Amino acid sequence: MKAFYRLLVADFKQFVRDRTALFFTFAFPLLFMLIFGFVFSGVDDVSYNIGLANQDNSAASQGITMALQEIPIFEINPGELEAGLEELRNGDLDAVVTIPSGVEASIGRGETVDISVYYDPSKTTSVQIILPVLQQVIDAVNIQMTGQPVIFGLTQESIQTHELSYIDNLVPGILAMSILFLGLFGSLTLVEWREKKVLKRFGATPLPRHMMVSSQVVYRLILALMQTLIIIAIAFFVFDVQMVGNWFLLLLLVLLGALTFISIGYFAVSRAKTVEGAMPIIQIIQFPMLFLSGIFFPLEIMPDFMRPIVSIIPLTYLGDAFRQVMVDATPSYPLMLDIGVLAAWFVICMMLAIRLFRWE
Amino acid sequence: MKNPSVVIDVANLVKRYADITAVDGISFQVKEGEAFGMLGPNGAGKTTTVEIIEGLRKADSGNITVLDMDVAKVPAKVKQKIGIQLQAPSLLSLVTVQEILVLFGSFYQRSLPVEDLLEMLALKESRKVLVKNLSGGQQQRLSVAMALINEPDIAFLDEPTTGLDPQARRSLWSVIENMRNQGKTVFLTTHYMEEAEKLCDRVAVVDHGKIIAIGSPRELINEYFHESAIQFELEPTPPEVILKSFPGAKEVVISGNEVIMYSENIPVTMSAILKHAEKTDITDQLKNLHVREATLEDVFLKLTGRKIRE
Repeated sequence: MKAFYRLLVADFKQFVRDRTALFFTFAFPLLFMLIFGFVFSGVDDVSYNIGLANQDNSAASQGITMALQEIPIFEINPGELEAGLEELRNGDLDAVVTIPSGVEASIGRGETVDISVYYDPSKTTSVQIILPVLQQVIDAVNIQMTGQPVIFGLTQESIQTHELSYIDNLVPGILAMSILFLGLFGSLTLVEWREKKVLKRFGATPLPRHMMVSSQVVYRLILALMQTLIIIAIAFFVFDVQMVGNWFLLLLLVLLGALTFISIGYFAVSRAKTVEGAMPIIQIIQFPMLFLSGIFFPLEIMPDFMRPIVSIIPLTYLGDAFRQVMVDATPSYPLMLDIGVLAAWFVICMMLAIRLFRWE
Repeated sequence: MKNPSVVIDVANLVKRYADITAVDGISFQVKEGEAFGMLGPNGAGKTTTVEIIEGLRKADSGNITVLDMDVAKVPAKVKQKIGIQLQAPSLLSLVTVQEILVLFGSFYQRSLPVEDLLEMLALKESRKVLVKNLSGGQQQRLSVAMALINEPDIAFLDEPTTGLDPQARRSLWSVIENMRNQGKTVFLTTHYMEEAEKLCDRVAVVDHGKIIAIGSPRELINEYFHESAIQFELEPTPPEVILKSFPGAKEVVISGNEVIMYSENIPVTMSAILKHAEKTDITDQLKNLHVREATLEDVFLKLTGRKIRE
């Protein structure tokens, strides 16, 4: 145990002297979170600039105007149609609504009135939000003016006990990403040691190999826990994101996730001769995982043909488990399935790594 | 114990890599307290042999006993008792001299105090220096210190002075001489003749995976040479037949412009060389003419027809 303790001490001493390692372990996830957090922090309170050309100065058109102004995500800018269309073209407005002249008269005669909406179809997301909302407003006004009774009402109730914002989903994702990096890139240490014959030097002493490797693993698990604490603290103090779940469960997930990616890393580099040769292997594994695992983009938007990949990569399950435990998000998979898949990856890759790892 | 004084017993050691036979049936013994050297050019099979003895590689065939233990069967037990210095320093880079000694000391059941090692290898000043900032000589001394940390019964040093400047080499030599004076068993590989001559009680000369001569440096030289050597440079070099016909000349080796003649009768041979030069009017081409005692280098040259560092 003396040797194990000394190895661990040496690992940490090397770590604090290695600026690159310090940066990628602590500063990088934080920078990532700060950048993404601030860029997307506006996503939840977006507002759209709507131009309104009211060509009919009547009580009816006033009613429609007021109805539109009540929509919280709409900023209504009254003006002329031509000026409004110009602003729509250069992007100052997201849509222009026209109330044609003679609306009141038409209503009086019982005729259908056409209210036109001009929009820029290239702005897909805003169009997808604006058009249905406008439709709803028009429907509501219709019902009110024609005096039809309302039969069905729809009350929206979220099943989440608290509202989830983008940053709430981001924090578990950042944690999952950090653990992915820690595990995969951590494997490079052994490759470097093999390349520089440090492994051979250890092999020239009575130190058992399993003790050397396990000290490396324990060292990385401790780093993973430190990362977790820092990420949760920043999330709480900067973004007001609370960790709502069970701390013990979170601890288990962090350890399991770290073990999984450490063993995937060791398996991936088991035959690489140099650090330069191992790096691309790690990156090939890491990139698809980052983008297809749903830690930054919701799983629902993944196209169908990607589903098999999405549902096999372990980061999908770690991200899902973290979201469930940390912010109580809606599960994509049952938690036990998340844990089971991660454990399976861990065991299989560890056995392969033990079998295939080249010591010199 | 069948013979308490034999600490390393190698019998018919063979190691093949693909189509190369790196070690081709080597046998020898090393006695307790002996400074034993393996001398040979790069690629002769020295490192392979020593790493098999240390238990770092597996032999294809042959028996190796170290301190009465079978290395192939109980490598970890053997490693407790021996100290190993690898050819490459192979150290962690972001730890200090002191830290790495403490770390490696923790791998052994018994270990010397770090202070003693720092003192012994003149590393006290640089104890707090990171390994990556050490000079080549300091790294080499540190790697010798690591080989001595468990007070080994046998210390294996694989080309400890390769790549060092003359001063650093001399300082490492005095460390090894001290170990020898303290009666420690030292197993040294080198391709420096003078290193083997100066440090070793007994030398095995190896070439192409075979031991071609074994004995103390003096024995080897006396066995192969009753003559001294006359060495000179001359352009153009006279044909070998002419040189061999000179009185007293026993043997002639020509490599490039350099000629080495082994002679039983130095004055006679010498005057024949000078006469030849005068007669053929090439006296001003005759350079660096000197007489010296035969060395291990000459033994190697005689046995293989090559210089050791070609």
